[in-house]
Amino acid sequence: MTLDRLAREVEALLMASDRPLSIERLCELTGAGLEAVEQAVSRVEDALVSGGHAMEIAYLAGGYRLVTEPALGTVVSRLFEGRRPGKLTRAALETLAVVAYSQPCTRAHVEAVRGVNCDSAMKTLLERDFLAISGRMETPGRPLLYGTTHAFLEYFGLARLEHLPRLDEIGNLLALGADDLEKAALDLSKDGEDDH
Amino acid sequence: MRTEAATPESTACRVTLSDFEGPLDLLLFLIRRDELDITLIQVSEVAGQYLAYIRSAVELDIDIAGEYLVMAATLTRLKSRSLLPSQRNHDQDQSDDSLDPGKVLLRQLTLYRAFREAAAELRDSEETWRDAFPPPGERGRFQDALREAERGGESGSILELLEALESLARRDEPGLPHLVQRPVLSISECIDRISLALPERGSSGSFAGILGETPTRQRLVSFFVTLLELVRRGWVASRQEGPFGGITLERTGRWA
Repeated sequence: MTLDRLAREVEALLMASDRPLSIERLCELTGAGLEAVEQAVSRVEDALVSGGHAMEIAYLAGGYRLVTEPALGTVVSRLFEGRRPGKLTRAALETLAVVAYSQPCTRAHVEAVRGVNCDSAMKTLLERDFLAISGRMETPGRPLLYGTTHAFLEYFGLARLEHLPRLDEIGNLLALGADDLEKAALDLSKDGEDDH
Repeated sequence: MRTEAATPESTACRVTLSDFEGPLDLLLFLIRRDELDITLIQVSEVAGQYLAYIRSAVELDIDIAGEYLVMAATLTRLKSRSLLPSQRNHDQDQSDDSLDPGKVLLRQLTLYRAFREAAAELRDSEETWRDAFPPPGERGRFQDALREAERGGESGSILELLEALESLARRDEPGLPHLVQRPVLSISECIDRISLALPERGSSGSFAGILGETPTRQRLVSFFVTLLELVRRGWVASRQEGPFGGITLERTGRWA
């Protein structure tokens, strides 16, 4: 399959970019219309698949991004051996989850939810650019507010925050009062869903 | 003897505790292990086990995180409350809900469990997406180019280099040390001044007069301390008309 000019332009842009390119940005760069670019993206996708290439297009953090096939991760990660940061710890993942669903939120909020001190987890997440300071709360002491970053969405393969797992369930829990929570807890237990 | 006997069990406990992300995690583990629900009654049921865990952990390792102890206290309080006959009437029940430690704990447990599950799902996403490598893109490339330029893509003359060196040297020059000196009025100086103001036995003067107009606070304190010292030595007699009144000094015969 030979790609037309626009599809090849899109492919080249995705290859050269260091961040996901939104459909609007692709339109801007190629000068083509929204629909045309969307179709071009899927033509590139088809070509990669039918040609048996080791790359695919992922929709991450609000844009398209060319990535190597996850199944080849073992081989590719050898390239970065010793230079790649490790997987996140459970403490870091939990901290990240609390911020992601409650943002913007304070460190105190995260600690209240997790019931433990989160200093080192927050520090790791700030260093790895998954969290960023997004402002200050206008309460006494003006504590810092934290939010997640684009890097967070990309790392977890999320197109946007609305794609977080269990968003509705947790949103409801956060909004509920204590009484309702007790009922919700009962309902959840009936589902018998829990990991450990 | 005792410690030796306790070691295997306690070590197991420590290992177990470190597997948990805090007291809520441990409580949820106990609740789930016994196939219980997050309700007040069932949480109280595992409270005893929780306390046993903490107790053996404390025996071995005093450095157990404070959060575990706070939770132990909360659970103990819940348990003791459940033993007492209920004294609350309905009106209070309504208003106290948000402060009721039992309700607060249930809320915490439910929320935490939801986040723990969300974190587990994020872990799965991490597994998948960590292995998808995007191209390095223009950022890496242009950063290298920038660094190249900074290193001196364009050649400068020796003169420019010397100028740059000079400006650096100027910047590094230490400024003159700026010493702030505080004039200190010693007690012996004050004695000299008072001696001048009261030249002979029997001569008297007002304290305010000796101080001069608008004395600094330091001067005031120095002279007052001196006055006390002179009175102690018996060199000066002092008189005050009333509280906050003016003080009059009189030189006695014992002035050395």
